[in-house]
Amino acid sequence: MTNTIKIERAIHNLTQAELAEKIGVSRQTINAMESNKYVPSAVLAMKIARLFNKPVEAVFQLQEND
Amino acid sequence: MKNKLLLPNNYKRYGIGLLIPFAVIGVLSIYNEFELGFLQTGKNIPYFNMFDFTDNNFTNEIALSGVMIGLLMIAFSKEKTEDEFIHQIRLESWQWAVIINYALLFLANWLIYGSEFLQVMIYNMLTILIIFIIRFNWLLYKYKKQLSE
Repeated sequence: MTNTIKIERAIHNLTQAELAEKIGVSRQTINAMESNKYVPSAVLAMKIARLFNKPVEAVFQLQEND
Repeated sequence: MKNKLLLPNNYKRYGIGLLIPFAVIGVLSIYNEFELGFLQTGKNIPYFNMFDFTDNNFTNEIALSGVMIGLLMIAFSKEKTEDEFIHQIRLESWQWAVIINYALLFLANWLIYGSEFLQVMIYNMLTILIIFIIRFNWLLYKYKKQLSE
């Protein structure tokens, strides 16, 4: 799964730390998601999408091998 | 994600505080036959006679108990922000620790014999916990380091 967290973060002018604090996870988690090392749970994905005011699929996209 | 099996974060420090003195006593008791006099038991305590003790000093029992509880407290205390990613690292580290532990035990089974194998078994009581703590903290350190890059 890929995501556009980094882009959305830039649009909303948030740092990794600020986003982490807003959704209640650690900075490492944001960083791991942005570098595609961690696929978040449905709950976390929906929280992130809601924060950016976008549907989940606008932020998270399935890949060929998923 | 809620994990009810974990202790609060500050238990990690209590665990370290418990581990160090008891580990020192434990190592001394294995290699120097160190015994604390006040942990000596008389031979006539009915309850303890049930087990037919050849060793009637509780130093090593107390030391192992302290080390076990200390390691368990370190392994099972929460990180400051215990989220689902940390949770996944935690589970992967447990899996890793069990596999490595049994790989080492498998080798020891074939390579070490007699009373030396008994030494292996003493350490083997604790290796799953030790390997887990090392692996888990190494991964946390690695991900923290990536943040500053």
